[in-house]
Amino acid sequence: MFSSVLATEFLKLRRSKVTWLTLGGLSMGPLALALFMWIVREPGRAAQLGLLGTKANLSGLEATWAAYGSALTLIVGAGGMLLLSFIVAYVFGREYADGTAKNMLALPVGRRWFVIAKLVVVAAWWAALVVAVLAEAFAVGLALGLPGFSASLAADIVRNTLLAAGISYLLAPAVAWITAAGRGYMPPLGFAIAMMALGNVFGKTGWADWFPWSIVPSMIGMVGSPVRTLPPGSYVVLGLTFVAGIAATIAQLRWADNVQ
Amino acid sequence: MPTDTVIATHALTKRFGDVLAVDGLDLDVRRGEVYGFLGRNGAGKTTTIRMLLGLIRPSAGEVTMLGRRIGPGETSVFGRVGYLVETATAYPNLTVRENLDIQRRLTGAPKTAVADAIERLGLSQYADRRADHLSLGNKQRLSLARALLHAPDVLVLDEPANALDPAGIVEVRDMLRSLADERGVTVFMSSHILAEVAHLADRIGIVHDGRLLEELDRDELAAKARSYIEVRTSDLDRAEALLRAVGFAHVEREGDTLRVFGAGERCPDIARALVSAGLELTSLTPTSEDLETYFLRLTGG
Repeated sequence: MFSSVLATEFLKLRRSKVTWLTLGGLSMGPLALALFMWIVREPGRAAQLGLLGTKANLSGLEATWAAYGSALTLIVGAGGMLLLSFIVAYVFGREYADGTAKNMLALPVGRRWFVIAKLVVVAAWWAALVVAVLAEAFAVGLALGLPGFSASLAADIVRNTLLAAGISYLLAPAVAWITAAGRGYMPPLGFAIAMMALGNVFGKTGWADWFPWSIVPSMIGMVGSPVRTLPPGSYVVLGLTFVAGIAATIAQLRWADNVQ
Repeated sequence: MPTDTVIATHALTKRFGDVLAVDGLDLDVRRGEVYGFLGRNGAGKTTTIRMLLGLIRPSAGEVTMLGRRIGPGETSVFGRVGYLVETATAYPNLTVRENLDIQRRLTGAPKTAVADAIERLGLSQYADRRADHLSLGNKQRLSLARALLHAPDVLVLDEPANALDPAGIVEVRDMLRSLADERGVTVFMSSHILAEVAHLADRIGIVHDGRLLEELDRDELAAKARSYIEVRTSDLDRAEALLRAVGFAHVEREGDTLRVFGAGERCPDIARALVSAGLELTSLTPTSEDLETYFLRLTGG
């Protein structure tokens, strides 16, 4: 029965503009980075195009593969946390916005399977976005001819980006729960922004390893220097957040009043 | 509980904070019966329907459907139940066919069920149209097709005639009647179109302020509906006084007519009294209350 639910969840994305919007949004990251790299490397030509003022704001940025890779991880990590929350809000929240939630709650299928199938759809969507953006970033970086490329650096960029993307995904069920409890798009988006702000605060007060929404910002260097190796406790916190988010979403659909 | 009971509620109660939406409701709907559930806005109809389907949890009491108690985690019974709650909804980016295919996969219905449902609800020419490009009436047809797709034994329908044109109302009425008569499908439906319920329902439950005021079948309705003689005349004041004087004690003014209750077959007596007093008699009509009038009287409308 789960395969049927999963098939219907993928079917619901057919002709959806939101999938393309998220791809367009995230793919702007490497293009913007490439522009910055080009300005740093070619200040004369940038000045001719009226981009010298931008160059002044990029002091400290080097036009190298190492700097490009770090910035890419930062974009996928920080922007991705918000974008992923947006995807979760869409996949779960549209059932309330379109008034279809009631249609999936009295069926010969356990409500938990909808939660799990939707999270699988989110995972597939997110993985496809991250892989597409990584491929785009490497193509753009190679086309720019940035210096310092090596196989080990490329592996590091891929590893760090995938780790940030994976950790961001572990926070997705909590956003799903807020969506189900709030029955719409706005509560999860507000929650995601609030958690990012709190993540920064906790990151700066020494709690970065323990507050789930601080871990990605701390890892990618949004707060202080990038922390590439997380302590085991952080993984435990992330795992608990993931499981608690799923349990809370299932409980919300199973026990709470589903009034639309 | 009788053995042919399909839907039963016992002391079903729902409270939202200080608001008592449903108050100790006892219902008993039998196999193959069309049960009309009537009530004014806010009477508790939709809340009751949501509890029947397990969409919201009762504050007290219980619901049993097809012998299974409805509660968190109950799924097996819903393979035999089709439903439509409040407004017709569908995935806007999907076509009629795709929307129904979702229902087919989730209920385990055969592949042919989608085409059958499209045909039955007259949606053939819209089958490949996106749901957000459908008229309200066709969205309602799509929701009804979704409810019927897996050939359920029980239909729980909240305002099934919403947004349908007069021909569509008759079509749906005939379809529900034949499902009940030929396949023994049990239909529990709420409606604010009282004439529709009067035509279709075998039994009617009238709910008001969350409580079941009355439950009656067609014969009981006919017996309880009041009969009166409607009188139109040139001078209502004089006519009313005159009729009281000759022994018709219960006379009510309603707009430009008089209603004479308890007059039985005495039309000739009324005519004679009015004409002999020189009043111009425009019309004299023996009338029985319809469901609408009875409903309004019962619920204080």
